[in-house]
Amino acid sequence: MSSKKPNPLAAKPGTAGIDPRGPRFGATITLITLTVELIFLLASPTALSSSNSLVQNFATPAGILLTLIVIIFAIGAFAGIGKHPYGAIFKALVRPRLSAPEELEDPKPPTFAQLIGFIITLVGLVFALLGITTGAVIAVAFAFVAAFLNSVFGYCLGCQIYVLLVRAGIVGRGGASA
Amino acid sequence: MDLSLILLLIGGLVVVSTAVGFLVKGLEGRVKKEDGLTRVDPRTLGEDISFGSIGTLLQFSSEFCTKCPGTRKYLAQVASEHPGVTHVDVDLTHRQDLAQQFNILQTPTTFILDDSGAIAARIGGSPRPEAVTAGLEIAMKREHDSYVI
Repeated sequence: MSSKKPNPLAAKPGTAGIDPRGPRFGATITLITLTVELIFLLASPTALSSSNSLVQNFATPAGILLTLIVIIFAIGAFAGIGKHPYGAIFKALVRPRLSAPEELEDPKPPTFAQLIGFIITLVGLVFALLGITTGAVIAVAFAFVAAFLNSVFGYCLGCQIYVLLVRAGIVGRGGASA
Repeated sequence: MDLSLILLLIGGLVVVSTAVGFLVKGLEGRVKKEDGLTRVDPRTLGEDISFGSIGTLLQFSSEFCTKCPGTRKYLAQVASEHPGVTHVDVDLTHRQDLAQQFNILQTPTTFILDDSGAIAARIGGSPRPEAVTAGLEIAMKREHDSYVI
């Protein structure tokens, strides 16, 4: 039995666990914003152009919204999921209407998932600023699928990616990722 | 771009995501019989780890894993209900060698070991209610191909 060792996965004593429904709620809002972003990108694919300057490409609906999406992922990834803006909405408006959660969750997994989301949408933003609409659409579409799986199926893509990284030996002891 | 074409593309994304979701959910938590020819040595997993006299529920977890705590709770309960069955939880975060050795692609992954420590069955993802007892039955009846000495 491994009962002698403290369980490394549960929320550590003294640090607050989070309600697992919070990140799923956030994923739903993310899904909506990504849908709008896709509509912006596809509705006027010529608004972004490689002959434009970076600032010109930024100052489009698609450029501004994608920047906001990237910033929100960055807050979740680097400040921690506990400081996530959508988490604040969940705490203020949704959680008071729900029953108490059955179990609290370690905040690290959804924080890692935010990092994945940040990287994917950042790639999309770079494509958008360079005026490569197709690249931006593909990156946003990947983020859309991940957010959809999280929101609708409660499936944590970040966990799976993490294990694959461990297996490949890219992430290991100590914490290049921590 | 035409509005109907945009809706078609987004609708296509929704269909693809839903299909992936159902595929993942459909494969998750089912018990899969193994050949029983691979033995796990408890000493490779860590100090102070011993297997059950009848069977062992060997769970592999990782740091970033939302379903691992629930799985741990459930497997510990199943183990306590079956005398001679032990639950062991191993954190793969610092043991990538184990992930490679046993080809573990997701956490939680649960191995059901027989009394000799041979892998009788495995469950990927958070186990379905009937999967663990089904796996234990495979291990106890030696329905797998493990040779008896």
